[in-house]
Amino acid sequence: MTAVKTDERVQRISLFTKALRRPELGALIGALVIFTVFAVVDTTGQFAQLQGAAGWTKFAAPIGIVSIFVALLMIAGEFDLSSGVMVGSAGLLLGNLISEANMGVWPAILTTLVFAAFVGLANGYLVIKTGLPSFIVTLATFFVLKGMNLAVTKLITGTVRVDGVDTGEGFETARSWFATKIEFGGASFQVSVIWWIGFTIFATWLLTRTTFGNWIFASGGDPNAARNAGVPVARTKITLFVLTSVAAALVGCMTLLELRGMQAGQGIGQEFYYIIAAAVGGTLLTGGAGSAIGASIGAIIMGFAAIGIPYALWDQDWVSTFLGVILFLAVLVNTWLSKQAKGARK
Amino acid sequence: MSAKKSADPILELKGVGKSFGNVVALRDVDIAVFPGQVTCVLGDNGAGKSTLIKILSGVHKASEGEFLISGQKTEFNSPRDAMSKGIATVFQDLATVPLMSVWRNFFLGNEPKKWWKPLGILDTKFAKETAKAELLNMGIDLRDTNQAIGTLSGGERQAVAIARAVYFGANVLILDEPTSALGVRQSGIVLKYILAARERGVAVIFITHNPHHAFLVGDHFYLLNRGRMIASFVREKVQLDELIQAMAGGAELDTLTHEISVIRQD
Amino acid sequence: MSWKKFAALAAVSSLALAGCAATGGDTAAPAAGDNADIKICVYTHGDGGTFWSVAQAGAEAAAADLGVTLDYQGSTNDSAKQASTIEAGVAGGCSGIAASAPDAEAITDAMLAAAAAGIPTVTMNSGSSVFRDLGAFTHVGQDEIVAGREAGLRFNDLGATKILCPIQEAANSGLTDRCQGARETFTGEVIDFNIDGGLADLAGSAAKIQAALEADPAIDGIFALNADIATGAALVASDATGRNAIIGTVDMSADALTAIKDGKMAFAVDQQQYAQGYMSVVLLFLNITNAHELGGGLPIYTGPGFVTADNVDKVMELVAAGTR
Repeated sequence: MTAVKTDERVQRISLFTKALRRPELGALIGALVIFTVFAVVDTTGQFAQLQGAAGWTKFAAPIGIVSIFVALLMIAGEFDLSSGVMVGSAGLLLGNLISEANMGVWPAILTTLVFAAFVGLANGYLVIKTGLPSFIVTLATFFVLKGMNLAVTKLITGTVRVDGVDTGEGFETARSWFATKIEFGGASFQVSVIWWIGFTIFATWLLTRTTFGNWIFASGGDPNAARNAGVPVARTKITLFVLTSVAAALVGCMTLLELRGMQAGQGIGQEFYYIIAAAVGGTLLTGGAGSAIGASIGAIIMGFAAIGIPYALWDQDWVSTFLGVILFLAVLVNTWLSKQAKGARK
Repeated sequence: MSAKKSADPILELKGVGKSFGNVVALRDVDIAVFPGQVTCVLGDNGAGKSTLIKILSGVHKASEGEFLISGQKTEFNSPRDAMSKGIATVFQDLATVPLMSVWRNFFLGNEPKKWWKPLGILDTKFAKETAKAELLNMGIDLRDTNQAIGTLSGGERQAVAIARAVYFGANVLILDEPTSALGVRQSGIVLKYILAARERGVAVIFITHNPHHAFLVGDHFYLLNRGRMIASFVREKVQLDELIQAMAGGAELDTLTHEISVIRQD
Repeated sequence: MSWKKFAALAAVSSLALAGCAATGGDTAAPAAGDNADIKICVYTHGDGGTFWSVAQAGAEAAAADLGVTLDYQGSTNDSAKQASTIEAGVAGGCSGIAASAPDAEAITDAMLAAAAAGIPTVTMNSGSSVFRDLGAFTHVGQDEIVAGREAGLRFNDLGATKILCPIQEAANSGLTDRCQGARETFTGEVIDFNIDGGLADLAGSAAKIQAALEADPAIDGIFALNADIATGAALVASDATGRNAIIGTVDMSADALTAIKDGKMAFAVDQQQYAQGYMSVVLLFLNITNAHELGGGLPIYTGPGFVTADNVDKVMELVAAGTR
């Protein structure tokens, strides 16, 4: 048996290009550039300090926690547009369970997370069974939850917000786990940041070091090929829908515990920020490639903008333009990178 | 090259037929496949080749006839069933995910686990090393199994798919038109890998509409036409042009040639 | 992509962003005020629309007049975002903070943290009943119930018997308060009507109001709670049904004033949000520089003022200038 000669067309890949192929690295460099820009135009002197870090991590964490799982779902080829409104639904449900149903805070949190799991299950099941694009299915869920948030809250409390939750049993301990501040180096960091870091590590490990992670990539990269290879595509996607909804619900619980109440309109519109963070971080909108760390970097960039723009005394209307430009550039870079991976011929 | 003689067929179809409603896709098909030999199934488009593959790989169940594995009557409920019995199918889309790395594709659906198995933790070290070694066994030297499989040429991708099937203990390897989308050089690479698999004792079922390719590697040849097996040949007893003639339609083609020559002279 | 190309892309992007600074900075910070080291932070729940841009203009004018630095941020009804902005402002060197408080509980911790850091605070626009709990020394704005009551009296004078009260932001308790206030003084019936999200879809709101009018021929008045809703939805619906309802609105716009001048709308309740922005800055400035705590522990009202056909001409000039 003759050995096949190595293909002479395989070039030496430069270390730089190899590193650049990692989806997160592009986002990381982008984040460093943006950080530098804001640090330079900062008028308060705090942006590059720990105080500033406390500020931008506080903004980034609630986006980051959900966008991590939204990224996983996008890698698997699906979208969840109901993730934003779920934050509101969960917070409202938790608030109502505590203040109207007089449930203890911890059982109420558990119930809320289970509710979210069911919504995620419904999302996933409907997407699989109907074969409709998840964009459409979860858009429907979005509207259903949006209406419920308003109608049910009004029905129960007569107003459009829930409050009176701090009298619930276990409120303070729950708060200390989910919504308290942690002193570090003279600055107050929100504990959600710790959760966010933890989830980033967990999701990255899940994606790169487990069989489930392999299935995520395959389900998004080529679901037919994956099925033919024996990957349980349906089960993988449904699991990810559940995880996304539960993550959103967790953020909703954290928000309710921190603010001691919640408006019926909370969370609506956030779903696009999650998708933007994931896309900026290297997750392809078409699926098959992406990174949880990248989504977190995307969220940090949003945190930079939320703090950096006021600190620079820029008009805050520029935030939207800023995010739009970032997204555009990110998608350009990621598309180019994926072309390289697919072996586009010159 | 002499074919390894094996007494018993590892896979047999006896009188197998498949209908979809009142459309008869296959009728009265007899095939015997032996380990260490390449069995070619030739036929033009519409001959019923894809239905045959689907029955062999477990996607469909036969409507009539018997399907025997090592002499035992078998029925598959799903492709996973077929895989568990050692029948590996490489479909035209190769069942590879372009954006994923070679080693991830190699172990797709059969990921090696470490520590406590149910936890599902990937043994990435084992996976990368094994993928590289197995590909080397088949004659492919990849500098880096981390590269996305989409960056490999068509022939190389086929090779990985074949190496994967062989590694996971395929006794029977079904290749669905592996050379149809490839150029001459790439096809050559694939045919060499088919022979490599044959050397390892795998029974290869090579489905194609290209008699030249079939003749290069085949030990047995079956011809499908409109759902029926119209001829079967053994390598020692047939010439290439006979094969081509039979594929192109045999007696029917003679009549057609005569008719056309009459028309053209007018 | 070679590293050179990549570096070029990064450089261009940073320049683009810095370019935003050049243009954006002008509107937020006056060039060199005498008191530029005083940074007044006005953090509202606003959305940059016709109403809030006037409030912002008021804050900016006061900052320019006093020579202080201003940081204005609107959170578009997201209370979590507003709370985080206030916290960041405390860390970012605000000398004084003014915040609107439609959801007081959400910003309680942040406002109290500001107070604990020695930063004086006031509330503005919403929160007239809760400013003390937030650690603010006064509130500047309009009490929504009071505004509703006055409007109810007007409707009585104009002879209406049944009024529709369309609510375009279901989660805004200030709006429901206005309808409730009207209910207290109006002799007829006040019907709350949900058109949530109405500002983003005026045509849809018009259709909904029209449907409500057609369903109930007894309705002869509409108490719109926003000027754009009044002209873009209520008036449209009233004309379409030929009802010629008596329409009053809260807050103003150029179109609303034209309608009043033409006699198609009866009145606009003016909460004078320009003054809310302006006075927030002034109150904080006086506190920072001269330790004044104005208000006497009570809210300082900027409304309800009423614009009717009698005074509409003068006001119209000012609305066109973006200051009313």
